[in-house]
Amino acid sequence: MIELRGIHKDFNPGTIDEVTLFDNFDFSVKKGSFVSVIGSNGSGKTTLLNLASGSISPEKGSIFFDGRDITNVPEYKRASFIGRVYQNPQMGTCPDLTITENMALADNKGKSYGLTLAVNKKRVEYYKELVKECGMGLENRMNVKVGALSGGQRQALALVIASMTDIKLLLLDEHTAALDPKTSENIMILTDRLVREKGVTTLMVTHNLRFAIEYGDRLVMMHEGSIVLDKEGEEKENVVIDDLLKIFNEISIECGN
Amino acid sequence: MSALLSSLDVILQDGFMYSILAMGYYVSYTILDFPDLTVEGTVLSGGVAFGLLVKNGVNPWLAMLAAFAVGFVFGMLTGILHVKLKIRPLLCGILVSTALISVNLVVTVFGMGGNLAGDGALSTIDLGRSVPTLIRTFPSNLLPTNFCNFNLRKLVTFFVIALIFKLLLDAYLKTKSGLLLRAAGNNSQYVTMLAKNQGRSKILGLAIGNAYAAISGALIVQSRGNVNQGMGIGMIVIGLASLIIGLSLFGRVRFIKPTTAVIFGSIIYQACLGFATYLGVPSAYNKIIMAALFTLALVLSEKLKRKGGADR
Repeated sequence: MIELRGIHKDFNPGTIDEVTLFDNFDFSVKKGSFVSVIGSNGSGKTTLLNLASGSISPEKGSIFFDGRDITNVPEYKRASFIGRVYQNPQMGTCPDLTITENMALADNKGKSYGLTLAVNKKRVEYYKELVKECGMGLENRMNVKVGALSGGQRQALALVIASMTDIKLLLLDEHTAALDPKTSENIMILTDRLVREKGVTTLMVTHNLRFAIEYGDRLVMMHEGSIVLDKEGEEKENVVIDDLLKIFNEISIECGN
Repeated sequence: MSALLSSLDVILQDGFMYSILAMGYYVSYTILDFPDLTVEGTVLSGGVAFGLLVKNGVNPWLAMLAAFAVGFVFGMLTGILHVKLKIRPLLCGILVSTALISVNLVVTVFGMGGNLAGDGALSTIDLGRSVPTLIRTFPSNLLPTNFCNFNLRKLVTFFVIALIFKLLLDAYLKTKSGLLLRAAGNNSQYVTMLAKNQGRSKILGLAIGNAYAAISGALIVQSRGNVNQGMGIGMIVIGLASLIIGLSLFGRVRFIKPTTAVIFGSIIYQACLGFATYLGVPSAYNKIIMAALFTLALVLSEKLKRKGGADR
């Protein structure tokens, strides 16, 4: 499905703050799998997602999608088959547009944005059906500007919107981190349901170890640009939070913390 | 009384005339958050295009279309400088409007049949009394020229043009392309996620903004009867002040569309200037008054925003 091969990534090249994060880094995700990625700050989790989505490009190495080299394909073109939900609930929607308008825009993804009417009244019922599944009463607020919704509501909407069209890969960038515990739980349940229903390949970065263990069928732990743990299937089922914490501690001691 | 009426006439005419410029700013400044300085050049370009064409016998409605196209292209240029060459918004406007000073002058001189070594007289285009303008052709010529001391033809023509461009903009903003433009100004990452190049939306928005500015320019030429190379000066302030006054006073009223609010803002701004003239302030002070009014508009809009801040 998606494969990163021999990736080299520097930050602040040419300055005294130059940091090499990835050096000859390889990573691949199988079609239809749901991968959770954990790791401390600066371990390269978000960079991994940024490389996949195309918002940054590597200095060396290639990125393949379904066998096709997409290393030089710009982010907006990759978006036709990649969906993304960000940590910041503001990022996934337009605050000054209504729920209907946001969804109408997403509904047209992949087609041309010409001079025909943006909101097709007949589709509004369908949009209502979609947001109804979030269980947040969004279906009654279709003409409210998204900026007036709470963070949790916006994130649920962003998730629905990201998975509305036929994407092949869903990138979740700590998408529950800015929410309160109860809401983040709800969003995680909604995520799981959407991912299962659509069978979309998913790469989820999270700081929540419990989510990483409970959801998904593969667990990856990163540290300083390399993978320190990679469990799949039955092996992954047997991982408990204490195992992960132990590794985190070992890493911390190594770093002198 | 008649002095008051005739200044009301001028206020309304100028209000409609500049409201189109302000609507252009609604697209570039309010929707895209792009402080576009190109308009000082494109207002004049629109005027030059219109003036030369009608002077050479082209139908004024067609000449209006040409002015629109000219503004559209120069607006695109500003957009391309910003999007493709990553130049900052303010500088893009300065670059294009500076270049346009030469372009407008050269086109005017050649268009008037002169050459660059010739005298300066050819840098103005005088429409005289016989060149057909929108005001002097069908259907405006069916109206009486004078009605209760109002220049009815001019007033109605300018009102209709402002209305047409308001309705066009309202309709456009409801289309897919228009909604994508609003999204580009609101959250450009969202446009990227829709698999669309957000840069293209920005270029289109600036093109529309400057096309509207050029239409204003074409009306200014018809109002004054000539094209003067200095007529672009001060357009940024007129456009932005009208926009900000309109949106801060009427933007929150539910049943008033932003474009309508902008037309009201433009009339109010012209009324303030007209009032100064009525009080006998010499026109040499005009630019000071304009700057002062703009400052006032900015301060007021901040105050009003804070008052109704819960809305956002």
